Parts: sequence; C-alpha cells; structure tokens
Amino acid sequence: MKTSKEFDNILDECLERLLVKGETIEQCLQDYPEQAAELKPLLQTALVAKKASAIQPRAEFKARARYQFRSAFQEVASKRSRPFFGWLPRWATVVTIVLVLLLAGGGTVAAAGNSMPDNPLYPVKLTTEQVRLTLTLSQIGKARLCAQLADRRVAEIIYMANKGDAQQVELITQRLDKRLVMLAVLVSAREVSGAPKAALAPPAEEAPPPAPAPSEEAGGNRDVYAQADDRAQLRMTVARYAVNHPAALLAVLEKSPESAKPALRRAIAVLVAGYKRALEALD
Amino acid sequence: MQNEESLVRRAQQHDQKAFAQLYEEHFDKIYRYVTLRIGNETEAEDMTQQVFLNALQSISSFRWKGVPFSAWLFRIAHNQVVDHLRRKKHTAVPLDESLASKDNNPQSVAEHELDIEQLLLATKQLTEAQREVISLRFTSELSIAQVAKVMDKSQGAVKALQHSAIVALREAILVTDNENKQRI
Repeated sequence: MKTSKEFDNILDECLERLLVKGETIEQCLQDYPEQAAELKPLLQTALVAKKASAIQPRAEFKARARYQFRSAFQEVASKRSRPFFGWLPRWATVVTIVLVLLLAGGGTVAAAGNSMPDNPLYPVKLTTEQVRLTLTLSQIGKARLCAQLADRRVAEIIYMANKGDAQQVELITQRLDKRLVMLAVLVSAREVSGAPKAALAPPAEEAPPPAPAPSEEAGGNRDVYAQADDRAQLRMTVARYAVNHPAALLAVLEKSPESAKPALRRAIAVLVAGYKRALEALD
Repeated sequence: MQNEESLVRRAQQHDQKAFAQLYEEHFDKIYRYVTLRIGNETEAEDMTQQVFLNALQSISSFRWKGVPFSAWLFRIAHNQVVDHLRRKKHTAVPLDESLASKDNNPQSVAEHELDIEQLLLATKQLTEAQREVISLRFTSELSIAQVAKVMDKSQGAVKALQHSAIVALREAILVTDNENKQRI
C-alpha cells in the first residue's frame, strides 16, 4: 500500500512539473529511473488529456450568456437595492404604489392592459406589469407572472411582425428575454439552497432536523406540498408555452415581410433557449 | 488569493464589475469541465449558464473559510452535473474485460493524434469519479488541493483516483484508436 501511495505522489509531482512548470517527460523520468517504465505512458496520457483544455465555448454562445447573466444580475441587484423607494419601509412602498395606481385611474390601467407597443398607453402597461412584479411576494408567484408576461410579449411580437416593424420586434424580444431569464433565476432559487451540498449547505451540526413524515400533515408540510403543486402547475404552463410560442412565431415567419424575418428568427431563438433553461431549472 | 477574496466580497455586495470579473475568469473553465463531464456541447452551454445563475443567487451564502471561490463554483457545477446525469439516468459505460487487463501495447499514446471528439469519446469509458478528476485536473487546471475541496475527498484519495483515471483513460484511448483503425 505504501508503495502505491509513494507512486501516486511521484506521479502527481511529475504532473505538476509537466503541466504547470513546463518540464519535459524525460526530465521527470531521469529523477525516477526505477519508476520510469510505469510513469512514462501515464505522463504521455496526461499530455493527451491536457488537449481538452483547448475546448472553448462558441463566441456567439459566450456573448449571449454574458448578456443574459448581466440581465439576471441587474434583476437581482435592483430587487435588493430598491433605489426609488429604498428609504421607505416595505409596507409604505406597497401603499405608495397602490395609491399611485388609484390616482392614475383604474380605467386607464385597465385600458392599457390590452395595448400594443404602437399604442400611447403601452408604457402604462409596462409600468403596471413592473408594479405587479414588485407587489408579488413569493418567488413562485413572480415566476408565474414572468411566464404570463412572456405570453404577452409573444402576442406583441406577432402583432408588430405582421406590421413589418422589425425594430419593435427587437425591442420586445429584449423584454421577453429579460422575463425568461428572470423566470429561470426565480425557479432555480429553491434548487440552489439545497444543491451545492458541501459549499452551501450548513455543516452537519447546524443542519435542520429531518422533515417529519408526510402522514403527520403538519402545517409546514402542507406548505411544502402546495409549493410543489405550484411548481408542477408552472412547469405545465411553461412546457405548453415552450411548444406553442415558437410554433406561433414560426407560422408568422412564413408570411411576415422580409424586413421582419431576421428579428423574428432571433425572437424564436430567444424563446427556445429561454424556455429550455426554465424547464431545466424547474426539473 | 487576497485579491480574489476582495473581489468576492464586492460581488456579494452586488458590485457588478467585481462579479463580471469573477464570471470572465471562470466561465471557460466551468464550460470545459461541464463539457467533459457530460460529453454534449449544447447541454454544456445551458448548464454553464445555469451554474452562474445559481452562483448569482447564492453568492451571499459563500463564506471565506479557506475554500477558494473557484472550488465553490465547481462544487455548484458538480452538483448540477450530478442532477443532470441522474435525470438522464446516464450511467458510465463499464470497461470491458479487454480494457481491464494491463496494456502491453507498445504503441505510445503520445503518438496518437487524437482530436477533442475522440478524447470526449474515450472519457465516456471512465467512471464518473475518474471523469471528474480528469476534467478538474487537466481541462480546468485545478490543483490537487482544489480538486480535493470540490470532490470532498482527501488529497491522498484524489491522487490515487488521478492515478487510476489516467490508467483507464490510456486504455480507453488505445481501444478507441484501434476501433477507428478497424473502421478504416
């Protein structure tokens, strides 16, 4: 056993010299003539394995991932900093927003609900959506709302594409992407708290006691079941959208003006990638 | 290390520049690690993005207790890969009898002009743990100490695993290469 451990150490030392310090195989073998016959093929294999370090992500993927990460970062940062109402306690923020909405007139807000991007009331629609997101407290509720908003964005893309307005299609696609990123972040939050076992979970002595058996029907358990049910329902919605939304845009693509086609193709790519990510996070 | 510690602290306080720097420093390495573990570049792209979204969500829980940030990040990637493989019910292809015997082939592995796809194919012959140590050590270029943190093993155990992984990879490469020659 001792010999094996010694050999493991020698092999590791040679790997460090080879891969980090840039020495040659022969230099290593000279220092360990007795182990040279066994070492040589292993060091040669390590050099071959090192080839995998040439694997590089595609530039297009890197750019897309960077953009989406930045969107997610801003989403998380804005949620925590609350720049406009940061000086107010949370309840006061909610009351202020509700008052503003009432003063703006319920009719206006309702009318804006169905407005399209070429309508003067469209900014009211976007503001109302933002307020709804702020007022929704639960992660799963926010995620559900993000899915609904994605559905609205798709309807808007179809409307603007039929009008041949590529610029608006691009702008709506950016908003759509932001909602899909937010959806994935929100539903992955639960997974994060449990997944990185060693790095994130508390040490054994701090770990919470095991959950009681389902038959005990404690209030906490009912919450857990309700959350699981909410997630399952959301997953069904997202799975349906993942099929229907790209299909709807593909149908529009066939008959839309040439000028709108590149923007529509980008929108389809954003949809496919966004829903795929969200579904994986929901699983 | 101190520099990374201050970067992480700033990222925890939502400093976008600090987080962007950590992201850029680790993105390619995490991508390579995931690619080699699951052997599918499209899935690796999605998973790499998810690793960083998870890190963004949970960075406030990261505590600097001598565990480098990279080890924490790779730990997130590791757990995600494990979940993914469990979902896909993907099992490592066991080495067949001919592979298990000691190789007496005089051919030098270094002479084999393997491309990356062949290498990926060869790593699929390894066990999960062997593939992980090869990926962390040779493609993501982590030290033995860092690999030990990610894999939650002692350094001695990682060295032994590294040894067995290289032996298995050498055998898998030789078999993959022979199969290719027979096809030609």
